Formats: sequence, C-alpha cells, structure tokens
Amino acid sequence: MKTKRSIAGTIILLSWAVVSIWPIFYFATIALRPRVEIIAPDPIYWPTFTTETWQKIWDEWPMVQYFLNSMGAVAGSVVICLVLGIPAAYSLARYRYKGREDIGNYILSTKMMAPAVVAIPLFVLFAQFRMLDTVWALMLVYAALNLSLVVWIIRSYMIDIPHEIEDAARTDGASDLRILWEIIIPMCLPGIITAAVIAAIFGMNEFFLTLIIGRKEAFTMSIALANFKGGSDGIIYNAIALVAFMAFFPVLLLVVAIQNHLSRGLTMGAVKG
Amino acid sequence: MSATATLPSTTMTRRRSPFMRKTFPYLLVLPAVLYLLLITLYPGIYAVYRSLYTGKFKLEWTGMSNYQQLLTDEQFLNSIWNTLLLGSITLALEFVIAMTLAALVYRDPWVKGFRIIFLLPMLLMPSAVAFIWKLMFNDGRIISDLLKRLGFIDYNVDWMISVPLARFVVIFTDVWQWTPFLFIIFVAGLQGLDKEVEEAARLDGASWWSMFFNISLPMLRPIIAIALILRGIDILNMFTPVQVITQGTPAGATETLGFYIQRLAFDKVDHGYASAASVLVLIVTVILAQVLVRRFFRSGTES
Repeated sequence: MKTKRSIAGTIILLSWAVVSIWPIFYFATIALRPRVEIIAPDPIYWPTFTTETWQKIWDEWPMVQYFLNSMGAVAGSVVICLVLGIPAAYSLARYRYKGREDIGNYILSTKMMAPAVVAIPLFVLFAQFRMLDTVWALMLVYAALNLSLVVWIIRSYMIDIPHEIEDAARTDGASDLRILWEIIIPMCLPGIITAAVIAAIFGMNEFFLTLIIGRKEAFTMSIALANFKGGSDGIIYNAIALVAFMAFFPVLLLVVAIQNHLSRGLTMGAVKG
Repeated sequence: MSATATLPSTTMTRRRSPFMRKTFPYLLVLPAVLYLLLITLYPGIYAVYRSLYTGKFKLEWTGMSNYQQLLTDEQFLNSIWNTLLLGSITLALEFVIAMTLAALVYRDPWVKGFRIIFLLPMLLMPSAVAFIWKLMFNDGRIISDLLKRLGFIDYNVDWMISVPLARFVVIFTDVWQWTPFLFIIFVAGLQGLDKEVEEAARLDGASWWSMFFNISLPMLRPIIAIALILRGIDILNMFTPVQVITQGTPAGATETLGFYIQRLAFDKVDHGYASAASVLVLIVTVILAQVLVRRFFRSGTES
C-alpha cells in the first residue's frame, strides 16, 4: 500500500509499542533498585540505583548454577534434536516409501501432547532411574518437546533444495549419507539454525515439566524465579528481574540473528517469509 | 515390505543391496520416532494403567471408579470450563490485536527494522512475564496507581478477590506475551501475498477495508488456521500465569486444566486420580491432533 497510515493507525501502533516496552524497562530497573522502592505503598517511578541488593542476591543464591543448568539442559536438548531430527527430516523430505505420511503426521501430532498428560508418568519414570532433579532429565524432556518442530522446520527447508544437485552427486557415485552430509546439510543450514534457535528458546522457557523434575540441584532460570522468597521479605523481585534478564539477552541475540526466518520457524515451515 | 524406494530420478545405488535401499529411509527416521514413542506412548500407557489403581504407595485396583468420580467432580468440570472460557477469550483477543497490528505495518518499508520492538514480550521467559504482571497488578500496585492518576478510580484495586478481575489478569498476561507470536506470522503471511492483486483491486476503486476483508484475509486463511492452532494448543495448556499469579483463586475461578492436574498429582499426591484426568485429556488430544494435523496442517505445509 502506498497510502499513508491513518493517524488512528499510528496511535494504535505507538500505544501497543509502549505497552510492550514500558513494563520490560520498568522490570529491568527493578533488578537494580533497593527493596523499599519496589513494594512502597505508592509506586516510585524514578529509580535510585544501588548494587547493594545484587551483592546479597549473588551471595544467597547460586545464580551461576541456575544459568549453567539452563544452558546445559538447553544445549544438550538441541544437540539431541538435531542428531535425531536431521536424518528424520531428510527421510521425510527426500524419499518416497510406504507409511511416510503417517510417520510425518505422528511426529507432528506429538506437538499437540499436553504436558499435563506426560507429567506423572515422566515423574515416575525419572524417579525409577534416579534421574529426578538432574539436568539430564531436563535435557531429555526438552528434546522430546521440540523434536517434532525441529523435524518439520528442517524438512521444509530440505524440500526447497533442487534435486539436480543431488542427482549430479549421485551419478558421481556419492552415497546417500555423503550427499546428506556434504550437500543437503550445508545447503539448508539456515533452516537448521532456525530450528535450533527456536528449540533453544522453547527449552529455556519451559516451566511446567521443569517445575516437576527440578527440585534443588537442577533448578533452571525459568523455575528459580518462582523460588526467590525470603521469609519475611516476601517475593524478592530484584532477583527475579535479574534472572529474567540473564535469560532475556541471549534469547534476544539469537532472535535478532534469525529474524528473517522466525515466522517460517514458528509455523514449522508453513509461512515462507 | 512392498515399498519401493524410488529416488526422485536416477537410482544409482552402487554397493548397496535392494534390501538396504528399501530400509534406508526407515532407518533415518527410526531414531526420532522411537524417541517420541518413548516419551509419548509410554506415558500414555502408564497413565491408563495408573488410573485404574488408587493409593499412594500400595496400589489397589479400583477399576473405573476414578473415572466415575471425575465425571461428577465439580472441580474437574470447573477447570475444563475455565480452560475453555479463558482460552477462547485469550485466543480471540490475541488474534484481533495481532491482525490489526499486522494490517497496519505489513506494507511499511521500515517494518523489518522496528518489528523487533513488538516481539520483545515473547522473548522473556513466561515465568518472568508472569512475575512482571504480578508486580504490576498486585504487589507493586502500579496498574492501580496509573488508573488513579488517570482518574478512573480513587482507591487501589485488589485484583485477586474478584472473579472477573482475576481472570482478566491471567488473560492479560497471556495476551501481552503471545500476541507477538501471531503478529510476526501474520506480517510474514500478508507480505507473502501478491502485491499486484492489491494494486488491481485498488485501481478498480476498492476501498482498503473491502480489499483487506474480501481479498487479503481469505487468501491468508491457511496461515491463520495454522497460527491459531499452534497458539490454541499452548493456550489449552496454560499453566504458568495461573501458578505464579493466582494459584487458581478466587474460589477456583482461574484454575485451568493443567493447573488442576498438577495440583492433584503433586500437592494432593493422588496419582491414580490425576492419571484418570490426564487420560481423559489424552483422548481429547489424540482426536483433536488427528483432525487438526490432517485437515489443516498438512495442506498448509505441503508445498
């Protein structure tokens, strides 16, 4: 449209932008403010900054551990997703065989599984293997939650690669696995990266199952938030804000890096844009 | 296996037996399928088995009595009602806001530069977002303060004692965080539409409104369906804002299905009863997944 946006339209856009940004900014200041300011009877909008609360937070809670737990579980789950997902995507994108549609549908339908359904069985299963409260268990769960989307995103990118290149390599006598490794994977690298980033974000965000598996040792940033309570102090918002932004900045960087592929990734390949 | 692995064109498979050629694609997809079966099929079977027993440590066979009890359990039915009520309002609001914003920006040459601003809420962890709004509404009284300054109210509102207000807070939290999800998809979808159709409609004298509603929206239908399904699945599982902000209060008015099952299983430690509830959810999910995957998803993602 070459027509200019109406004034009403601009107002709507600007107000939603303010509604989106202001709470984030406000919450960011929370991390650095003295506690009295946060729960004052009337809100104080102009902050006075102090690093005193920081000191207390870093002394009292294993913040680095939370960060490393999140990163470890997420990184591990992304590796599992890619190792299992790339061959599966290749198979669904490039071969014709009996049952292919059904297998593809099954993989996709696991995305619709309600976490509440698997919560108890997984709890019991991990308890039996003495894996409750370990980063390993979180890794396995995040991988399961994201595998369907990783397969479908990568499959969508693989379908777009023209057959001719593979055919040429095949006539030269290259094996299927070599074609996958040396031609297909490099050519759909943007899709693989997009899938990895989205899987990482969803892993980082996971709350419900993490809450059930993580008891103490395997606290991630996502669930550590809910535990910043200090007896008479009530909820420690400074610490919550701090952890929230420790997780926010890496995610922001990743998303900015794959911005142009984001909508395609989020719809598992349905929107090419 | 009667399947033939017909590779798209040339089938030069030296040093490989016909058997290997047929099984190769299955071998590629097998590890992923096994992994998913382990983590979905196994829990499904376990939940069915466990739902037929009662007791915490010593299991006692009870047959279908867990299910009978559930179907008359007011808290269970209440949580289903809440999930549907809160879910449909949330999804409708997110759709309308996201589509409005997308319609306003999709032909803007600068949109690639500033869209990240609209995505920011989505990039925070949901648990962090829940705490942001817990602080804004409750603990920090900021929303009350802003409303007072604007002259709408003259006292601080307690958002957690009124049913509509508590529900509003939960819905607001989800809408604030996840409208960007639909927004970014709709923008990409609208940008993917043919510009020339729009130009032609405009030259024919169609107004922007009729062009948008009669041409753009219908063309976008497959993408809208997929986006709403993906968002809908997440909303049906809504848990985080309830756990963090309301804990289901007041009087169970914000208790969603996910929160209810979690409370049964891990607060009341009634695994048998909670399993029965999750089996019912599982049955609905499987039916829903079959219909949705086949009807909308495949047709939308098949290129």
